[in-house]
Amino acid sequence: MAMIEVKNITKSYGDLTVLKDFSVDFHHSGVTVILGPSGTGKSTLLRCINGLEKTNQGDILVDGLSVNDKKNLKQIRMTCGMVFQHTVIFPHMNVLDNLIMSPMKLLKVPKGEAIDKARFYLKKVGLESKEKSMHNELSGGEQQRIAIARALMMNPKALLLDEITSALDPEMTREVQNVLESLAADGVCMLCVTHEMSFAKDVASRIIFLDGGRMVCDASKEDFFGSIRQENERIHKFLSFIGE
Amino acid sequence: MQDVHVIGQYAHLSTGDIATFAQACAITLFVTLVSLLIGTILGTALGIVRCSRHKVIRFLPLILMEPLRNSPLVVQLFLVYFGLPVVAGILLQPYSAAILTLSLNTAAFFAVLIHNSIMAIPRSQWEAGYALGHGKASTFLQVIAPQAFRLLLPQAITLYIGQLQCSSMISLISLKDICRVGQIVSVRTMQPFAVWGIVFALYYVVSFPLARLAAYLEKRVNFSY
Repeated sequence: MAMIEVKNITKSYGDLTVLKDFSVDFHHSGVTVILGPSGTGKSTLLRCINGLEKTNQGDILVDGLSVNDKKNLKQIRMTCGMVFQHTVIFPHMNVLDNLIMSPMKLLKVPKGEAIDKARFYLKKVGLESKEKSMHNELSGGEQQRIAIARALMMNPKALLLDEITSALDPEMTREVQNVLESLAADGVCMLCVTHEMSFAKDVASRIIFLDGGRMVCDASKEDFFGSIRQENERIHKFLSFIGE
Repeated sequence: MQDVHVIGQYAHLSTGDIATFAQACAITLFVTLVSLLIGTILGTALGIVRCSRHKVIRFLPLILMEPLRNSPLVVQLFLVYFGLPVVAGILLQPYSAAILTLSLNTAAFFAVLIHNSIMAIPRSQWEAGYALGHGKASTFLQVIAPQAFRLLLPQAITLYIGQLQCSSMISLISLKDICRVGQIVSVRTMQPFAVWGIVFALYYVVSFPLARLAAYLEKRVNFSY
């Protein structure tokens, strides 16, 4: 059974339909990169999976639990950790508290255990020296790495990453990508919306291309950058336009 | 002849006046603090209801808040103290009338501060809480409320200072607060500058440090999301 089953969902904002009768499955491992022009529903798809947006039609099952049932949302959100485009470190607490707050409150992890785990993930994202820092003492890249570590603290089965490097300069983007590559090497399941082709080429095992709220292509990385790119005019145009 | 002699002489400020002013301070502080406490609790509830997503529920607190925010406190005080006995047969003691009026007035303004502080927290902070698995109440308590509180604190202190000064209105319904005692002693001694200088100083020593504290907190609260 797929971990995430997206079944014929339609999502509209007023008259604008962003996702049209969209279906896709995601399994328990691998890195799926979701590509496509702006406004094609990539971020909306992740937000629907996480239950942050309600679908107009269709259903999404995460580990067999429907996002349409409010009672399932807590479990679904703990199953699928999400990191956003704009950094959302909680500014009233330091880095360590940002990491340990949710496991302690929601998973009832004892404080000492939560701190040990937080230090493990801070080391994983290369920020072990920043545990006492406040958000305004961190760069954008560091904040995103903290947000990734914070999501990992909840033991998610998958990470939903919504253009997390799009607001960062190239150097910070590289820092964050290094962390994602390291997580991918550890076998963490990730669904990434990104425009970073280097990341897609290096790390993705599967690439989904959306256009106009519909899936244009669902293929392996090799096929996508190989034969599909040559055959599909829309994808060829998109990749050429962004300099690939 | 005796009457002329008395009119020509006025009492000096005496040590007895210190005790009178001390009593007046106690009355002013008692009425103000009780009113601020009630007003803060009621205002918090009204402010949170104002944040509701449902239009009708969001509108309900305005029925109480808008009249209180858009009329002079002294008029509200007279309506409660002099008006209620006439229209509803409710005769309140001066203390009760003063505390009721100041509490409601504080609540109306405090509700606005609560509402503004909560709404000032970016939507992304709510979503970050939800995305970690927190429900609405948990996100509010763990993520939103602490941030809103920091934004609220300097504004709340400024409101409290204002309400402390507005409490001088209670002298108009015969409560012997600092202002009322100032009037009495001023007339008795005919030393208005000295007496009102004392009244000024009494309000100032409480208000000024609070105002500095508010300014300090305002500088410290800078989240820059």
